[in-house]
Amino acid sequence: MKRAVLVGGATVVGLVGVLSFHTSPTKLTLGASSVGTASRSATAVTPAGASPPTTGPPPPTPTTAPAAQGPTTTPPTTAVPTTTAPATTRSATGPAVDYSFGLISVTVTATGTKLTNVSIASLDDGGSPRSQSIDQQSIPILEQQALQAQSANIQGVSGASYTSSGFQQSLQAALGKLGFK
Amino acid sequence: MGTIVTIDLYVDAGVPVDRLTAHVGRARSALQRADEVFSTWKADSPMSRLRRGEVTSDQVPPEVAGVLDACRTARELTDGWFDPWALPGGVDPTGYVKGWAAERALDALRMPDVAAAVVNAAGDIASFGAPAPDAPFRFAVVDPADTTRYACVVEHTGAVATSGTYERGQHLFDPRSGRAASAAASATVTGPELGLADALATAVAVAGHDMLARIDALDGFEALVIGHDGARRWTCGFPFAQEGSVALTDR
Repeated sequence: MKRAVLVGGATVVGLVGVLSFHTSPTKLTLGASSVGTASRSATAVTPAGASPPTTGPPPPTPTTAPAAQGPTTTPPTTAVPTTTAPATTRSATGPAVDYSFGLISVTVTATGTKLTNVSIASLDDGGSPRSQSIDQQSIPILEQQALQAQSANIQGVSGASYTSSGFQQSLQAALGKLGFK
Repeated sequence: MGTIVTIDLYVDAGVPVDRLTAHVGRARSALQRADEVFSTWKADSPMSRLRRGEVTSDQVPPEVAGVLDACRTARELTDGWFDPWALPGGVDPTGYVKGWAAERALDALRMPDVAAAVVNAAGDIASFGAPAPDAPFRFAVVDPADTTRYACVVEHTGAVATSGTYERGQHLFDPRSGRAASAAASATVTGPELGLADALATAVAVAGHDMLARIDALDGFEALVIGHDGARRWTCGFPFAQEGSVALTDR
C-alpha cells in the first residue's frame, strides 16, 4: 500500500486519500515523500509486447492510468440523434440511480504553490480486504486525475453523473471489477 | 454504492493533519446523515416512510421540511419542469438533495484554517474560496457528445450543477407518457447554492433553451444548455473562463 505525503514547496502540504464512507472511524495516515519523484507503484503495469527472455518477471514499469482526453473549446461537430420532447412535457428526475454516498476521495492542496507530485496516503478504514482492493484500483486513477486537473488548471469537472467524465468512468470501471455496483 | 463524492481542501502549510481529518470527518458525517434521512434506496429512511405514508411530515427530521420547501420553490421557479411530486412512488427530492447534501458537507469545511474547498458530488460541485490568491476556481464542463472531452471551462466560486440525458441509468421523463424525453443533451447551471442549481439544471436539461429566460431572471444563477445537435445557448452572464490561458489539449 502506498504511503506518501505530497510536499511541494514552502507553503504546500498535500494529502490525498480514499475513505470508505460506510466504515468508521476513518483515520488518515501520512508518510513522507519527496517532491518530483514519480511514485506510481500502485499503477505499475508491465509493458505489452515482446520482451527478451529473462530469468524472472520483468520489473514493473510505472505508467499512467487511462486518461481523459484534453478539454476542447470548440463545439462538437458530430451530429447526435435528436429526440423531440412534447412541448408540454413536465418531468423530474427519476430515482433510477442509487444516490447513497459511497466512496469519498480527499485532496488537500496548499495555497500558492503548484504541485509537482501527487501521492496517496494510505488509510486505516477498518482494514477490510475489499476496501484495500478499492484503494489499489482507484488510487492511481485519482492520482492521474489530480495531475490532469493541475496541468489544465482545472480544479474539478462538472458532468451529469460520476460516469460522465473520463476519470469517473475509469473509477467506476475499476469499482465494477471489484464487485461494486 | 452510489454517488462518488470528492473533497478538496486548500489550506496553509502547517495545519495539523488531525485537524484536517476532523474537518473531513464532519463533512463525511453530513453526507452520511443526508443519506440516512433522504435515501429512497433505504426502505426505512424517513423519506421512504414519508413516501409510503407511514409517517407524516411532523414525524420526520426537521431538515426534511426544509428540503421539501426548497423543492416547492424550485418547482415554482421552473414552472413545473422540476417537480419531485410528479414521480410515481411519491415525492422524490433526490434531484435537489444531492446538491443540498454536498452543501452541508461543504459547510463542515468552513473553518478558519481552510482557505478554500470543493465538494464534487458525482459532477455537481459546491465550493468556497479560491485555489490561489488571484485565481478563481476553474471547473470544466463535460461535453455531452463525447464524455472524454470538455465542452468549456467556467470560472465560478459556489455551485456548478450539470444535468443531462447522457447519464447512465438516469432518466428524465414525462410523467404523462412515461417516455424518456428531454430537449437538451446537457444543461449546466452556476449559482450560489448547489441544491437549487441542481434542480434548475434538471429543469433546463428537460425543457431546453426555453428555460434560459427564467434562469436569466434569477439573481446569481446562470445557465448553459447544449442541444442534442451540439448547439449551445447560454444566459448572458454565464461565467465562461477568460480564455487564452489554458492549452486544454496539452498533457
